[in-house]
Amino acid sequence: MEEKKLFKVTSNPILRTDRDTSRIMLDVIIALVPALGVGAYMFGMNVAILLVVNVACCVFFEWGYRKLLKKNCAVGDLSAVVTGVLLTCVMPSAAPWWLCPIGSFFAIVVVKQLYGGIGKNFLNPALAGRAFLSAAYAAQMTSWAVPNALRDTVVDAVTMSTPLSYLHNGDALPEYFNYLNMFLGGIPGSIGEISALALLIGGAYLIVRKVITWRIPASFIGTVAVLTLVFGCEGYGNFEWMLYNVLSGGLFLGAFFMATDYATSPVNLKGQLLYGAGCGAITVLIRYFGSYPEGVSYAILIMNCCTWAIDRALRPRQFGVSKEDLKAKKAAAKAAKKQAKEAAAND
Amino acid sequence: MPYKYYGGVHPDYAKTAAKTPVRTIAPPKEVVIPMVQHIGAPDQPTVKVGDTVTVGQLIGSNDAPVSAPVHATVSGKVTAVEPRRHMLGDMVMSVVIENDFQDTPCEDMKPLTEEQLKDPDAIIQRIRDAGVVGMGGAMFPTAFKIQGARGKVDTLIINGAECEPYLCGDHRTMLEHPEELLKGIELVRIAHGLDKCYYGIEKNKQDAIDLLTGLDPAKYGVEIVPEVVKYPQGAEKMQVKANTDREVKPGGLPSGVGCNVVSTYTAYQVYRACYEGVPSIERVVTVAGDCVPEAQNLLVRFGTPLEHIFAEAGADMDKVERICMGGPMMGICVADASAGSVKGASGLLLFSREMNRESETPTCIRCGNCIAHCPMKLEPMYMYMYVRKGDFRKMEEYHVMDCFECGSCSWGCPGRLPLTHTFKVGKAMLTAHRAEEKAKAEAAKANAAAAGKEAKA
Repeated sequence: MEEKKLFKVTSNPILRTDRDTSRIMLDVIIALVPALGVGAYMFGMNVAILLVVNVACCVFFEWGYRKLLKKNCAVGDLSAVVTGVLLTCVMPSAAPWWLCPIGSFFAIVVVKQLYGGIGKNFLNPALAGRAFLSAAYAAQMTSWAVPNALRDTVVDAVTMSTPLSYLHNGDALPEYFNYLNMFLGGIPGSIGEISALALLIGGAYLIVRKVITWRIPASFIGTVAVLTLVFGCEGYGNFEWMLYNVLSGGLFLGAFFMATDYATSPVNLKGQLLYGAGCGAITVLIRYFGSYPEGVSYAILIMNCCTWAIDRALRPRQFGVSKEDLKAKKAAAKAAKKQAKEAAAND
Repeated sequence: MPYKYYGGVHPDYAKTAAKTPVRTIAPPKEVVIPMVQHIGAPDQPTVKVGDTVTVGQLIGSNDAPVSAPVHATVSGKVTAVEPRRHMLGDMVMSVVIENDFQDTPCEDMKPLTEEQLKDPDAIIQRIRDAGVVGMGGAMFPTAFKIQGARGKVDTLIINGAECEPYLCGDHRTMLEHPEELLKGIELVRIAHGLDKCYYGIEKNKQDAIDLLTGLDPAKYGVEIVPEVVKYPQGAEKMQVKANTDREVKPGGLPSGVGCNVVSTYTAYQVYRACYEGVPSIERVVTVAGDCVPEAQNLLVRFGTPLEHIFAEAGADMDKVERICMGGPMMGICVADASAGSVKGASGLLLFSREMNRESETPTCIRCGNCIAHCPMKLEPMYMYMYVRKGDFRKMEEYHVMDCFECGSCSWGCPGRLPLTHTFKVGKAMLTAHRAEEKAKAEAAKANAAAAGKEAKA
């Protein structure tokens, strides 16, 4: 008998969206281009060096670890590239290049791959890498180069303090830290965090491309804004204080690119709102009462640890079970318990 | 105004056949009619090898309440009554008829009389005799469905969403037979004993909505409801939610909340059975996909070997990797192209390798798309984890049984997880587990009773 051609069988759905993991990661990289561009313009060549070394190290460690443990090669999903780019964004512009391999190793191997790779880590790799570097190399991680926009104003120094450290100490801000400079990126700080405008463009791109939703960024930034507006600082107008807090530091970078990291943020919609609000509240607490001037990265790392608990606590309502049904069920369970107790007492 | 519901996806609708009129294909030399074209008890063949049959003659039936008879779709000689490969994979008892190309009609079934057309019992009896099943793809016997819902439901919804990509059969039927369709819907409504029904149509079929609205649907007791274009709008539970804002209870049927949903093509078949006396022997099948030069709607008799249909459509079979029966979201892959077409096959889609986006190494990146897309508000990501672990307690807690396998989660999964497939497996596992637990509990109860008796003695 002639061999009959049998066709391939797969489960439904037969078709899938063309947006796969690597496409999403590529979108994140594209969204970071404006922020990195502003960073490179303000701080010059060192940014490019850090970026190249970080990305190369992250990809190498990812590839090497998986090769060593004979796992499937996952470099093609571009997530290691994203980690490298994000790590560059949270490093100070004046950081020496040899910090990169150390940070990358911690981010990729210790935080990500030891827990099983993409999607399984519970801390944001880039932020954890930064936290490690801040602890180990505090001096290098807190030296802020003077941005090119302020070269003519601050002529006598190579490094300077960030607006947030002025706010943290309760000192009056110098003239050149005005809203416009903060919005466009003419302030010292980490490479990717200085320009609120560039980050807003990137964040809008991610939302339009449906890579992230508005929930986490909006609740994060909103909480910081509301808390700083309500609890102002002496010497500043409440509104002025709020704007300084929102525009300076890593808030926009954290809200749009770090807190929205898939693996380390809640997946349930209500949970995302709570998570964002938690990030915002802890950021403000650290900025007000902590010993660090900036709290965004630690706030996100702390909320990362709560992600699974939040997901479990705020589950969606089951389809077909209304609030009344749930109440009735609860009441019935209570009554049954009571009855059982009484029966036991009677025995 | 239709009500909103959570989730859903927007795949590429690719309804390129929407403007192509239905074409009747040349009848095949031979038809293979399986005795299982419905959910329920399989039919027993009522003809034997050597018999001469006519078009529409009864060739298989079963007295069980949940079943639907099958009829000869061509006239000619029965050449075999034996198990043959079914579209869905199993070997199923089938009747093979050699076509004599005479199309001799069968006189057994007459159109219903004027009085009968107003009598619910007569209509339901005719629907049953004509072998009408849910033509949306579920193939649930329509007569049983109506009988079960009669008197219990206050709302009838006719499903004209046709939310699956590629499929255009319902849309073409609305455009080409609007009056017949409305009459069919009227019959279904009368069979339910209701004065009014909703006809939900997705807004991407605006021409059909305009045409039907122009025919005074109120005369037939029909209210047209233009619905949002979103998959899975055509799912039973979504139709109920969109039209009445009621939510079907977990594990329940639409009739549990006073609703019944009947699909468009089913209503058209009811019209043909009652007004024309033609049993369920053919349907519109959309043949599309990237291996077909042009998407088209073909009127196909049941039992026609798929190869014949594909040859008629001019498909490039060497390029085909997968054949999909139904729409691409909930459709089922067919391995053997020599099987005969069945009642539920609303579409036959031919896809090449390029359309296959399954991955060798599916990886969850926790993006949450599955949760945003699930119309049942489930958490597919966690369900996947617990099914893979075989954790029955967690599977219950995460409502695995609520999944109706619409495929939205898998469709939107960037990590290419086989989510829907895993839930199919998980549901089977959970059903078996529940039965086992029940048996265990009963055995324990019996043991305790026996022990009690012994103690008394």
